[in-house]
Amino acid sequence: MGSVGLTLAWGNRISPVAAQGVRRVDAPEIEEPNRATDTVREDAALAAGCLAGDMCAYERLYQLQGARMKNLARNLLGSPTDAEDAVQETFLKIQRGIKGFRGQSSFVTWTFRILVNTCHDMRRSRMRRKEQAPDNSEAAPPPEPRAPGAHPCLRMALERALITLTPQQREVFLMYEVEGFHHAEIAALLEISETASKNTLFQAKKNLRSMLEPPRSAEAGGAR
Amino acid sequence: MNVTCADRERILRDGTPEEWEALERHAVGCSECSVELRAWTSLSRAAEELRDYREDPALWPKIENSLRQSEQGQGEGRRFWEKLSVWRGIPVGWQTALAGVLVVVLGVSGIYVVTRPPREPSQTKLLKNSALAQVERTEREYMKAIDKLAADARPQLDSPTSPLMASYREKLVVLDSAIQEMREEAGRNPSNAHLRYELLAMYQEKQETLREVLETKQ
Repeated sequence: MGSVGLTLAWGNRISPVAAQGVRRVDAPEIEEPNRATDTVREDAALAAGCLAGDMCAYERLYQLQGARMKNLARNLLGSPTDAEDAVQETFLKIQRGIKGFRGQSSFVTWTFRILVNTCHDMRRSRMRRKEQAPDNSEAAPPPEPRAPGAHPCLRMALERALITLTPQQREVFLMYEVEGFHHAEIAALLEISETASKNTLFQAKKNLRSMLEPPRSAEAGGAR
Repeated sequence: MNVTCADRERILRDGTPEEWEALERHAVGCSECSVELRAWTSLSRAAEELRDYREDPALWPKIENSLRQSEQGQGEGRRFWEKLSVWRGIPVGWQTALAGVLVVVLGVSGIYVVTRPPREPSQTKLLKNSALAQVERTEREYMKAIDKLAADARPQLDSPTSPLMASYREKLVVLDSAIQEMREEAGRNPSNAHLRYELLAMYQEKQETLREVLETKQ
């Protein structure tokens, strides 16, 4: 597969020193017992507060997860405006559906599942709108500009490459690598098995790598 | 732990921390694994570029507003169901009896609606009391005027000098008979507007015939 958009040699993009610190292995969680208990307690308190209709609980949920929710929605939908709408809609769905929360997953995982489903719905309705009024734009809209990061070229190349992945590969990659979810959480969020989540991530990274990698001939020519 | 190049893909897919450490040690002396490992970790680093957790102070007020509006709507819906929940406080025996009565009432109403005789279309046009009084008053005045006209034409009609006049006389006799019948019918159904229109048409016909009789005289 050819490269998409900007291609940079791997060595140019990230310094080996920085890259060494990035390895993330989804090993069984070994958290401090007190911290784990606090997390569970906070999750339960949030769920109870939201169930009671306490606006402070919703605000706390927003403070804890709002930015992460908006970031995930923005990466899934490619538009900050749509992302805000998705987050707002998600909060409304939480309010309407909190009575149906049975505690089978954590409350936060449940809220993210609602967010992902909301993004799916929005994407579907956007595609329907496009079918009704076809134009010459691409199948997936190019992401709107955002705040410049440390490697804007790399970010743009990655965003373009992400568009070409399958929806599930894109979602798993974004949830694992960008939002920092564990495979168990992704499995609960997307209603797939943990193994499927791991395999999908592997495939996504393999595809991204082949898309972002400079052509082998150029690399070989450069080496000569 | 010792790993080889053959283990690389499995470790990248689902390796334990120990296996990753072993792969990193192996990559120091293996250029192929070194390139692969660096590319793999570089992707994770690149993914950080897609993380934008900046605060958005405008978003929460919007969400809060929509939550409060939705809560208000839900509250109204709840109050309606709470009113209905009074039903639950009634003993089951009474609930059954009330439900039975309701079923009987609905059944009887249904049977009545299905089996009642169809209404005549003429009965659908009913005049209200004030309108009826006005119609009867106007009718009386109209009849007086026609009677006056009939009095003028009576000499010609009583002794017709031509077949035409005899035919006018015949027509007026038929009209008077029909008017009489229609007036009796209207007397039985005074609010029936359709009968009133029929009667008016007959009076108009009589008036027209009398006018022709008088014109023939001249």
